[in-house]
Amino acid sequence: MFLLGTFYFFASFLIVTCISVIFSKNPVNSVLFLVLAFLNSTFLFILIGAEFVGIILAIVYIGAVAILFLFVVMMLDIQITSLMFNIKRYVPLALLFAGVILAEIIYLTVFKSSKSNISEIVKSSNNTEEIGNVLYTKYFIDFQLSGIVLLLAMIGAIVLTHVYRPSIKRQNIDKQNTTYSKDRIKLVETKSGEGINYNE
Amino acid sequence: MTIEIFIGVLKIFSFIVPVLVSVALLVYLERKVLGAVQLRKGPNVVGPFGILQSFADVIKLITKENLLPSSSNKFLFIFAPMLTLILSLIAWAVIPVSSTYVIANINIGILYLFAVSSFGVYGVIIAGWASNSKYPFLGALRSAAQMISYEVSIGFVIITVLICVGSLNLIDIVESQKNLWFAIPLLPMFVVFIISALAETNRLPFDLPEDEATLVAGFFTEYSSISFGLFFLAEYANMILMSSLTVILFLGGWYPPLDIFPLNVIPGIFWFVLKVFLILFVFLWVRATFPRYRYDQLMRLGWKIFLPLTLVWVVITSSFLFYFGLLPS
Repeated sequence: MFLLGTFYFFASFLIVTCISVIFSKNPVNSVLFLVLAFLNSTFLFILIGAEFVGIILAIVYIGAVAILFLFVVMMLDIQITSLMFNIKRYVPLALLFAGVILAEIIYLTVFKSSKSNISEIVKSSNNTEEIGNVLYTKYFIDFQLSGIVLLLAMIGAIVLTHVYRPSIKRQNIDKQNTTYSKDRIKLVETKSGEGINYNE
Repeated sequence: MTIEIFIGVLKIFSFIVPVLVSVALLVYLERKVLGAVQLRKGPNVVGPFGILQSFADVIKLITKENLLPSSSNKFLFIFAPMLTLILSLIAWAVIPVSSTYVIANINIGILYLFAVSSFGVYGVIIAGWASNSKYPFLGALRSAAQMISYEVSIGFVIITVLICVGSLNLIDIVESQKNLWFAIPLLPMFVVFIISALAETNRLPFDLPEDEATLVAGFFTEYSSISFGLFFLAEYANMILMSSLTVILFLGGWYPPLDIFPLNVIPGIFWFVLKVFLILFVFLWVRATFPRYRYDQLMRLGWKIFLPLTLVWVVITSSFLFYFGLLPS
């Protein structure tokens, strides 16, 4: 009873925060609601006993991804972004995504529910070990492939944004550390009344 | 049921009150240590040896007026310091100060701590944004970039320790160090962890988010009175938290340095607190000794030195353990 009540509390809170993400006028508030949504889904994972997945979700999404979102969104000028608030343009695309996800959920709950053995994994006391056992054996290929996809995304982002400008002066720390004063300073004997030849 | 809740609340207070008192002591200790290093006396007026100085400061902070900048986002402006302090206190839920004395002994304690310490950046970034002012904003941006960068190397250091332990439970981590503290075989990781902890808690020499020479006071420039006090409390509570994490991961938690007669009768909690304060002294010593880093140097240290070093060390440790068959089952 208590568990069910907690579930409905977090689930309804999750839905409220998700709606707030979409309808907040201020993009920073949207990201903060997104953080709350992630936090609620973490709690839901912990409630079904999948504490490892839940806490990893919190570390990856709240601790890294949402901070980067916030980082970008904070730099936007708020007056401009509130003008861009035309939601109707995206309705068809959003409906398409929602339809696909709804179809997936229906497929999983109606056709697959009897075959899945989620409850067995959850019942074992330490689901970190259970995940470790299958991640590098049964799902080895999938795991490596998803790693490669993420690596590609990272390299792609770097290639797209990194422009090497030779005009910018950069600090070469190794070169600096291996430079001694005798490489840079020269003691010149000057006779009185004469200058020195700089180029020598 | 009511009795259980009452005991639970008492247990929580038995952690939070000592933490807050040691924050006050730590502030006093910091001023005394800095005074000693700089050949001054430090606070010596309020109470015997000036030990009540921090409490006097707290009273002063509380009784001052709490200013709200007119252009700030009011809710987030007030919420940010509260969030920072809450996050630095809820982490204590899983810290074991002795083999039995812990609020919640959960399977994934170390991941919980890592998650909570990575949330810490939200308080800073929200404070910087909600102030709607230049210096706090720059401080928040610096802090966000810095904390994310050093979390990566902290993550790899934790992974190295976890490979040696084979469990995510904090009590298991400490108990596997009964004979040999991890600070000895994993010395480079220990050093990396302490330096990253300095960066993670925004302490000198990495206190660029609150660099007074360039940013006034960084992300809490606009804060006054008790909301400033909460940030201050949270910063020192975080220092204590990171020190106790260091003690748990590398210095054998509540175990005495040698398992011989006069040392092993002393209760474990004494050793734990002693080690935590030893690490805290290192924090203060570093503050008194090193000049502040430049921001690009900080980023270079995090991404180009610590990240490859820790990554290679994870591979070396796991290869070593695998080759000699020492991997925990």
